[in-house]
Amino acid sequence: MLHYPQKISLCGFGGQGIILSAVILGTAAVTCGGLYAVQTQSYGSEARGGQCQAELIIDNKPILSPIAEKKNLLVALFQTAYEKYIDDLEEDGVLVIDPQLVTRQTRKVAHTFEVPATQIAVDLGNRMAANMVMLGFLSQCLGTVSREDLRATVEKQVNPRFVELNFQALDAGIAYAKEHHMHYDGEQEGA
Amino acid sequence: MEQAHGLKINPNRKFLRPEKLPHFFCSGCGCGQVLNYYTQALDELGMDPERMVHIAGVGCTARIPVYLKTDMLHGVHGRTLAWATGIKLMQPDTPVVIFAGDGDLASIGGNHLIHACRRNLDVTVVMVNNLNFAMTGGQVAPTTPEEVRTMTTPYGNAEPRFDICQLAVAAGASHVERWSTAKPVQCRKAMERALQHKGFSLIEIVSQCPTHYGRYALGTGDPVKVLEWIKGNTYTDAEAKGKAPEELEGKLRLGQFILEDRPIYQGTTSLG
Amino acid sequence: MANIKATDLPAWEKRVQSGVHFMLGNYALVEGAISAGCDFFAGYPITPANEISERMSQRLPEVGGKFVQGEDELCSIYACAGAALAGGKVMTATASAGFNYMQEGLGYCYTVEAPVVIANVQRCRGENYASQADVYQMRYGASGDYEAIVVCPSSVQELYDYTIWAFNLAETYRNPVIVMSETTIALMRERLDIPQAGAIELFNRRYTTLPPQDYQPFAAAPFGCPDAAPLAQGYHTIYSLNPHNEMGSIDWDPDEFERLYRRVCGKIQENSDKICRTERYDLDDAEAAIVAYGSEVRPALEAARMARESGYKLGVLKLCNIWPVPEQALRELSGQVGTIYAVEMNNGKYVREIERCAAGKCAVVSVPKNRGLAHTAREIYDAVMRGVK
Repeated sequence: MLHYPQKISLCGFGGQGIILSAVILGTAAVTCGGLYAVQTQSYGSEARGGQCQAELIIDNKPILSPIAEKKNLLVALFQTAYEKYIDDLEEDGVLVIDPQLVTRQTRKVAHTFEVPATQIAVDLGNRMAANMVMLGFLSQCLGTVSREDLRATVEKQVNPRFVELNFQALDAGIAYAKEHHMHYDGEQEGA
Repeated sequence: MEQAHGLKINPNRKFLRPEKLPHFFCSGCGCGQVLNYYTQALDELGMDPERMVHIAGVGCTARIPVYLKTDMLHGVHGRTLAWATGIKLMQPDTPVVIFAGDGDLASIGGNHLIHACRRNLDVTVVMVNNLNFAMTGGQVAPTTPEEVRTMTTPYGNAEPRFDICQLAVAAGASHVERWSTAKPVQCRKAMERALQHKGFSLIEIVSQCPTHYGRYALGTGDPVKVLEWIKGNTYTDAEAKGKAPEELEGKLRLGQFILEDRPIYQGTTSLG
Repeated sequence: MANIKATDLPAWEKRVQSGVHFMLGNYALVEGAISAGCDFFAGYPITPANEISERMSQRLPEVGGKFVQGEDELCSIYACAGAALAGGKVMTATASAGFNYMQEGLGYCYTVEAPVVIANVQRCRGENYASQADVYQMRYGASGDYEAIVVCPSSVQELYDYTIWAFNLAETYRNPVIVMSETTIALMRERLDIPQAGAIELFNRRYTTLPPQDYQPFAAAPFGCPDAAPLAQGYHTIYSLNPHNEMGSIDWDPDEFERLYRRVCGKIQENSDKICRTERYDLDDAEAAIVAYGSEVRPALEAARMARESGYKLGVLKLCNIWPVPEQALRELSGQVGTIYAVEMNNGKYVREIERCAAGKCAVVSVPKNRGLAHTAREIYDAVMRGVK
């Protein structure tokens, strides 16, 4: 799994549910996992232009600086967002992209996973669920937060009408990682 | 009736703070009359100012409740209704009465006035309109008639004036009346209606300021002459009967503008 | 001083949402206020404080409180003043530009000794970039003589904890208390542990036990806080911005108003040691120290750790409140280390207070940053190590 502190950046464009996915990830880590988490987002004129980014740190001890200068996980769901944030990724960091929306990679990253989250969500009947597909994938591939904790959080935080769809999306992301043997072991350093 | 030094003592002196007397109003000022009418209204209704809250801002009118034996907020210009908003929400059953001059209520406090009207905040506002900023020395106010000379309109007032009663009605006040110090009984009765009304009451009292408005605008410091001028420049519906519209132009209508029951303010959002 | 537990509050089960949360800073501040017994809020929309009003509008009616969206900041602060004098535990919230408008009403609250809590989410003018540029405005913004109390949370947890502390200080000293928030922590989500209601200690203002004829509304020990009286219960008190004597009577006698302002300021100054809180990190053997407050504390702690790892003995003094100035802690520190680094998110302001307390006993170096973002640990580390080399 990804070692602590997990310094995560999720980016894409407004409307993809980027912030919500960071909130769910953080909530699951804290309220179910007993961990510490800090989530911040771009503000000021930075936030304009349709791009959207949420930063999340998850750790097993209290977190000091709420913003990590370098991330060890970047999840990019749109080309321009990828271009803006790719340099924030550590040398040996992990990159996860939706290959249909990030079509041109400018930097070679050792651990790159391509997950067609948007297409999987469309196949489930709602493209808005791409963010949940991604969370399911992160759970399985990187061990960020367990499936059970994600489900419990989704149930509490998401409009009841969409809970079932979100459950399916989480499982689809998990299934995708399993089917394609996408698993990140990482080095067991850390805290 | 009690007597002192061979003089009759006003029976409503019981409402006053003896240590504060004599009052500081100029001789001939209408503020003392307004205080008198108000204590008569309290007495008539059997209300005890010690079980009420009175609020005043800054200005001559703001001095009126200083003489009342009551809890009182005082000394900031224009914010009377903002204070009242907090007090009424915490203590909905406590009667709150505000004394404000035209400068305090209609100029610096104008924004609070229209919103308190809109919300139908359950308070009584007595606005003493002496047509100028008196305590500061006789400057023009939003209520000063056009062309009038004041300390800041040496060439005449070039601004149109507010009709505060019509403004309050348009903004949503549920009880609005205008009288003048020349109509003592009507003033008292209007205040009694206001104190009994559940909702926003505005009682405007056109009042004489011989010291400033009299001397600068009317060329006389004689309170009787200023009162005569007020009588000539206001009219009741009865007095208006048979008069041509041009005879009433530029004069203020006295009387009731609205009195109706409407839900009172209980906060911007509530569970009911 | 009346001392109660949160379990003594009406609707306490709904007030205190005990447990572990992942919560937005602005929301945590609201939960702190509700746990402290807040029953009145008035505010005017302004970013980045809007989530405070929004959550208040939902939470206060649930616990029997009142919510007002004022027509402006003046309405908000004065409605709070009125509600506080009427017995309420009250709060308003704003952000730098809106805080400007509130100075007038704040001045009234200081003078009539109305306990009001104000959250000021500092931001850059017109934008939501983070800032600590208003540290002096929060102290000196209103006209007249008074002493400010300003507490400075550095995390979502502290937004909750310090807001309760702010209510307790406001009630104890009958003084406005400002919760200095910042865009950084206000819009951050973080772990928040809300304790059991029985573990939350609250202080309420003391009411007079005297009958109205013996009550003197502004009489107190030389540096004390007067007992309050309920409104409209026969105590006929004048709460005037004007100078007033112990009876509350407007009084321009120089002896009277000198006594009034000496007491209003003295009740904070003379109790400064009870009010001020600081936290010392790795200071016992430190060669140098960082002094930081608010969200700058966290990168400062990380920078100190980095310095220790590279062999330099650096510690941190965290100021939990900046006003009144924690003079004793700063004086002690200046006698102990060679250099103090004053880290802040403005052009270098509070460093003046630190210099005043150090009084030449050690070097004081300003480490300002005014770019709409908190310092990174690396920036602080580099600034310190530049001085070492």
